[in-house]
Amino acid sequence: MKKNGVKMIKISSKNVDVFYGKKQALFNINLDIEENQVTALIGPSGCGKSTFLRCLNRMNDVIDICRVKGQIMINDFDINDKSCDVVRLREKIGMVFQKPNPFPKTIYENISYGPTIHGMAQSKNEMDEIVETSLKKAALWEEVQDRLHEPGTGLSGGQQQRLCIARAISVKPEVILMDEPCSALDPIATAQIEELIDELKKDHTIIIVTHSMAQAARVSQNTGFFHLGELIEHGSTDKIFKNPENKKTQDYITGRFG
Amino acid sequence: MNKNKEQLLNKRYKAEKRFRLYGQSAIFMALIFLTIFIFKIFSTGYSAFKKTWLIVPVTFDAELMMLEQNPSKEDLEDADYYDIALKSMADLDPNANEDQENELKRMVSYFFEREIKRELLNDPSLIGKTKDVYLTASDDLDQVFKGNYPRDLPEDQRRVTDYQLKIFDQLVELGKVESKFNLSFFTYPDSREAELAGIASSFMGSIFSILVCLMIAFPVAVLAAIYLEEFAPKNRFTDFIEVNINNLAAVPSIVFGLLGLGILLAVFQLPRSTPLVGGITLSLMTLPTIIIACRASLKAVPPSIREAALAMGASKMQTTMHHTVPLSMPGTLSGTIIGLAQALGETAPLILIGMVAFVNTIPGSPLDPAASLPVQIYIWAESAERGFVEKVSACIMVLLGFLIIMNLFAQIIRHKFEKKWS
Repeated sequence: MKKNGVKMIKISSKNVDVFYGKKQALFNINLDIEENQVTALIGPSGCGKSTFLRCLNRMNDVIDICRVKGQIMINDFDINDKSCDVVRLREKIGMVFQKPNPFPKTIYENISYGPTIHGMAQSKNEMDEIVETSLKKAALWEEVQDRLHEPGTGLSGGQQQRLCIARAISVKPEVILMDEPCSALDPIATAQIEELIDELKKDHTIIIVTHSMAQAARVSQNTGFFHLGELIEHGSTDKIFKNPENKKTQDYITGRFG
Repeated sequence: MNKNKEQLLNKRYKAEKRFRLYGQSAIFMALIFLTIFIFKIFSTGYSAFKKTWLIVPVTFDAELMMLEQNPSKEDLEDADYYDIALKSMADLDPNANEDQENELKRMVSYFFEREIKRELLNDPSLIGKTKDVYLTASDDLDQVFKGNYPRDLPEDQRRVTDYQLKIFDQLVELGKVESKFNLSFFTYPDSREAELAGIASSFMGSIFSILVCLMIAFPVAVLAAIYLEEFAPKNRFTDFIEVNINNLAAVPSIVFGLLGLGILLAVFQLPRSTPLVGGITLSLMTLPTIIIACRASLKAVPPSIREAALAMGASKMQTTMHHTVPLSMPGTLSGTIIGLAQALGETAPLILIGMVAFVNTIPGSPLDPAASLPVQIYIWAESAERGFVEKVSACIMVLLGFLIIMNLFAQIIRHKFEKKWS
């Protein structure tokens, strides 16, 4: 969203270093992410783009040996500060994973889980409404409206991933992190998800990690290129793909390595 | 060159064939042993489910029973049945002398008086009349009738006299000996007399012990497993605990028995020989088994489910309680049942805490003295009487049946409730 023609910065990371034990995985990352835009993070395997993504909702906390240094500001609030409640943070920043991971429960329960634990619905009707809007936003409603009480794990891969997106947006997060959401899907399901991402950016800021440069070019407005734990280059997708400044970026984009 | 290759290939095929053969013969051997074992138990034990009865005419003589006219129920309860019981046995041979009358009396169990009394209490109009009453045959005659008794031994080497055999054969010829389903094997407590011994006491003892064991071991083990697996920091101390839990699972059960003896009985002064103490002792044994099973099934829950819940903003506790633990329950429960089945078959620790005592009452609570099924097998196997031989096998059959049902149940739980991951 533009205010007075200036793009709003939603997330801003300053000097972020990440260590796994003694091994440093990210080096001094400075990246600003614009609100209501899709930002793609690209780079070869093991370059740290997923690690960076997981810093943003502090999912790295789960890994015992992982340490994060530096500042990550979301809405001008440092999420690594002691006063930050990780539960509240993850309510605001949803995540979709590489492999579809619906809970082994019904479709309805998958969606209603988040709103339930965050106390977002006062009545059954309200909950029904949240479930319906979430599924509609995830373009899944038409396909599952007759079988809301069947297990979510019985859906196809693409449907499961859309279910996971619906689950993520059910708590109305400001930011959605997507970690290679299409890598396990076929081209048709991928196209559906990409369409969906375009739709979702109206209400959410989206950061997507992807291995497919074509996908990054299709869905994102901004792109960051990671290599060996460093952010080599970032900027508008147009610029990165058509006129990269760094040689490495150019080599990667033109398929010379990666 | 080509020939060489072919030889090599042939060799490989032969090696595989040989290996299959080894495997098949190993399975065959195992099956043979199992078959022999089961056949032995069944062939020795099946006869214990039958009981031999002598059908003896009893005259309910009011005078001999010291009964007044129109006796009340209490009078019937208090009446003297010994004399008519004795008389009806003696009447089997009108020419018997005093010694022989004694031998006649010993052809039935010492419950004969009670059996006659029950007959009259059921039908008070029998006073003054004669009726054929079923009396439990003595264990030796029971074995004779089942063909387990060597009749051709010299008389001084067997417990059945020639005279008893003669009368018994006459009764058989008259059709006055009958073999019926041995209900009392299941409803009577233990007895020194084989024909009256049953498993009611030890069965109830086992049930109470297992219940106490379950109620203590399950919650403690599950909480410990959840904490260790999901919450505890991974450091040297938790590693140390983990190693020791695994060691605990390998500790010989008799050590737990000593622990029960030394602490539960000596320090806490809990009542000896009770399922309460037995159950607590067994729970110490079952604890590591359940912890290991529970941790294994918690580990088997895919991390993606935990991540999904955490990313939704669930707290660690919510993630664990809403997702991980319910998903691990089938594995935990079947592990628990297997642990309980192990505890059910445990003998040594129960012997140490005194559950080996002769108990001829049926326990009504875990605080009453009782035996347990495996200990009952041990007690009977030690007894000299021939009548106990079949009882041992029959008791093993009951225990095995119990175990099979429990394991079946564990399998069903595992298959029915196990979730398929995406």
